[in-house]
Amino acid sequence: MTELTLAELAEQTGVPERTIRYYIARGLLPPPLRAGRAACYGPEHRQALERIRRLQAKGLTLAEIARRLAGEAPRDGLPKPSPWWSYPVAEDVVVWVRADAAPWRLKQVREALLDLAARLRTNQQEDENDLDAGD
Amino acid sequence: MPATEAALGFAPRRAATGEELDLAMQSLWLAGRILPVGAHLVVRHTFRSQEQKPVEVIYSFALPRDAALRRFRVSGEGFSVRSELKPVGEAVRAYEEGLEEGHLATLARTYRDGIVNLTLGNLRPGETVTVLLEILCGVELHDDGLRFRFPFTLAPSYHARARVGEAAPGVGEIELPEDEFGDVILPRWAADASGLHEIGFRLTVEAGAELASVGSPSHAVDVRLENGRRGSVMLARERDVPNRDLVLDVRTREAWSGVLAGLCRQGKGHFAVVIPSARFGARSEEPRSVVFVLDRSGSMSGAPIAQALKACEACLAALTPGDRFGLIAFDDQVEAFRSHLVECSRENRDGAREFLASVDARGGTELAAGLEAAARMLHGGGGDIFLLTDGQVSGTESIIARACAAGIRIHCLGIGSASQDRFLALLARETGGVSRFLTPRERVDRGALELFAAVGRPVARDVTVETDGLPGARIEPEPSRQVFSGTPLVIFGRTRGAVRGTLRVGWVNSGERRAMEIPVEIGSDKLGETLRLIRGARLISDWESRTEEPPQGGALDRRRQRRIQERLRRLSETYGLASREMALVAVVERPGDQPGELPKTTVVPVGMPEDVEFDSYFAARAICARPRGFPSLRPARPAALPSFRSRAFQPEYHFIHAAMKASLDPLLELALAIEPDGGMPGADDEERALASLLALLCFLAVGSTESSGIFRPHVRRLVSFLENVSLDERQRRIADGVIELARRGGSLPGNWWDLLKQGPSPECWDRIAEGLAKEGERLGDLP
Repeated sequence: MTELTLAELAEQTGVPERTIRYYIARGLLPPPLRAGRAACYGPEHRQALERIRRLQAKGLTLAEIARRLAGEAPRDGLPKPSPWWSYPVAEDVVVWVRADAAPWRLKQVREALLDLAARLRTNQQEDENDLDAGD
Repeated sequence: MPATEAALGFAPRRAATGEELDLAMQSLWLAGRILPVGAHLVVRHTFRSQEQKPVEVIYSFALPRDAALRRFRVSGEGFSVRSELKPVGEAVRAYEEGLEEGHLATLARTYRDGIVNLTLGNLRPGETVTVLLEILCGVELHDDGLRFRFPFTLAPSYHARARVGEAAPGVGEIELPEDEFGDVILPRWAADASGLHEIGFRLTVEAGAELASVGSPSHAVDVRLENGRRGSVMLARERDVPNRDLVLDVRTREAWSGVLAGLCRQGKGHFAVVIPSARFGARSEEPRSVVFVLDRSGSMSGAPIAQALKACEACLAALTPGDRFGLIAFDDQVEAFRSHLVECSRENRDGAREFLASVDARGGTELAAGLEAAARMLHGGGGDIFLLTDGQVSGTESIIARACAAGIRIHCLGIGSASQDRFLALLARETGGVSRFLTPRERVDRGALELFAAVGRPVARDVTVETDGLPGARIEPEPSRQVFSGTPLVIFGRTRGAVRGTLRVGWVNSGERRAMEIPVEIGSDKLGETLRLIRGARLISDWESRTEEPPQGGALDRRRQRRIQERLRRLSETYGLASREMALVAVVERPGDQPGELPKTTVVPVGMPEDVEFDSYFAARAICARPRGFPSLRPARPAALPSFRSRAFQPEYHFIHAAMKASLDPLLELALAIEPDGGMPGADDEERALASLLALLCFLAVGSTESSGIFRPHVRRLVSFLENVSLDERQRRIADGVIELARRGGSLPGNWWDLLKQGPSPECWDRIAEGLAKEGERLGDLP
């Protein structure tokens, strides 16, 4: 028996009908084999559902799974991206800080940045004062 | 944005771009009636599809506190059908079969944490369908009024195993593990709520006593008073968006003490008795042990953590010598100020303040770990936990179970524009405590200090309720065993019919057994039906909070879970209310329904709660907060790398933050300045006494006395300091005069705050003496 109704597919895989429809709508699963009352589902649907479950267990969200199934990104071989904060400490200065550092380290860095920002601001202030005096 | 996502139209459109809206759900309208002991609500959802083929729409929402769904009516062109209540399995099957046949099928199903999925299947292109959903819920009742809260959005919540990410720029989603949460689908969270469905409301309020005011800290409202005890509230703006809860504050002129009663449709009697806390006697001033448990998880970043810290500091200032306290901050790690309880000395309070200053919002919300650490700190010695949190966690039933197992009373101060009111109310009640919450634009003093004043010192312990002469009477749910000042005791019950009799309430106050009798007469008032439903909803949510999935332990636990499920099903059948075990379903056969057509499934998005930072949940797929404390240094994320996105959403937290600071009452600043011995700071005793007198006059000016107002602990401490400080004869007379004034609830005209701010000078003694002399002339007998 290779052709299943939606209810049978749900029963065999343990994935509720509504969830299956949701996956189809999000492009995670192919649509049923035929339209209308004769709609049915084949082994490819079962396999795709199992694959989705596997990827979910790895912590991937449905959006990521959709991207992966669509073959968009991230491809194997691409280095793992790492998040960075960019702090515009002054209008002309940007400092980059790795965002996944330990919280205590981030706190240290932020304190240093506050100092830096304050110093840069003071310099700027002096420059402006000079300008005012010049006028 | 990946093509698949765009093509499927999941991204909500923004009002700013002027694009045509393409929302399956277009509006949500709330109507209903708020009573002192609960509310009866009707929510109208309007669905309209602009798709080319039939759709299945899923709207996910959170239940208010103590709530259950009663029924719904689904209407469209040529039909209007009422829902049926069925066991969940049967309801889902009926829904699926209806869908398969091409009919319009509607299912309302409650999941864990009080999340409801309202699913409408086979909505045809261009068709408009409305679903009118009836909900019964509870309110937060105070001695002098009530607070009502209805969730228009749902706060994203932390769960260690949730999958979290951005589905599209500015659209976040959270998927909960199926083995624990079943097939619940959470909404998508839009950073920009401007293009989402419209919300509106009109509610009537029926207070027990004469209304003093009705207002909302969350929405602009129009209030009309129909008579002294009845009013109506509606949204003042033409439209609003779903990015925060509706909060209504109802205040009465005096504490209401009374009985609501009537017959239900089956002719049974139902009653609710409200007894204000003041009737149980005065609060004892015995020393207490309190552990503050502060949530510093990422979702608290921005305004909420600032508010929580402020509340925490204010409470520290209200501790009295003899009190012992602990201080714990948690995210996914637990940090304590000291590993044990400490005395309330100046040194310890300063240390605690320093500890608070270092608290930063960052990780996940491991609430149970924080509570267990606090319980260990209190171990064996009794005491209370004072929890400050946004409560944004999933799987709350397990937390409640672990908290109950620890056997410590927990008082909750909920914080946030979409805080989990249902969860925090349950957590407090199940452990024997009280809960309150603050919305982002409110001052922290009222909620935090009012609640804190009550912590650890119930006005009544060992409360018992007996009935006399009420045939067939049953008190249910079990009334609270203790009463705290500010929160009345509510007793629900039922009787055989229209009967009369007496409730005998007994309790212990200051070691003394006391009792009162309350006559109850059940008339033929139709209110009985509403009372029956409110009570049913309360019972159902109590039992729902005791379910766990999957059962943690062995066969014993599973048997216990089965008993709870059985109980829930019986409650649902008895009261005709949905629960985790029973769902509502309706199938409408329309002419021309085509069997077998597969509808396209869409999820209705909601707005990010206005005080929760989008990035604290959805950035970089981690629950980690954006660096905080840099008002002028907002880190910007570059667009070039794949894991980054451009920021379309700039929450204006710093403005809120600044506005909040500015609105903090000078009195709160005064309260914070009081030293552990109860006096204000100063160079010597005389200066301290003078500053304390001026501070006391400031508190008296706003009507605070030793026994009333939120600053009563501070008034008491100032008075006790002034009684004991050494002064010369004249100064003593003046101080005694002010103390006497405080006892009588009087005040002196004068700008004491300015004098205090300028630094108290010796002339201030003269000013106070003059004021006292004038007041003495008026009253005759001041010293």
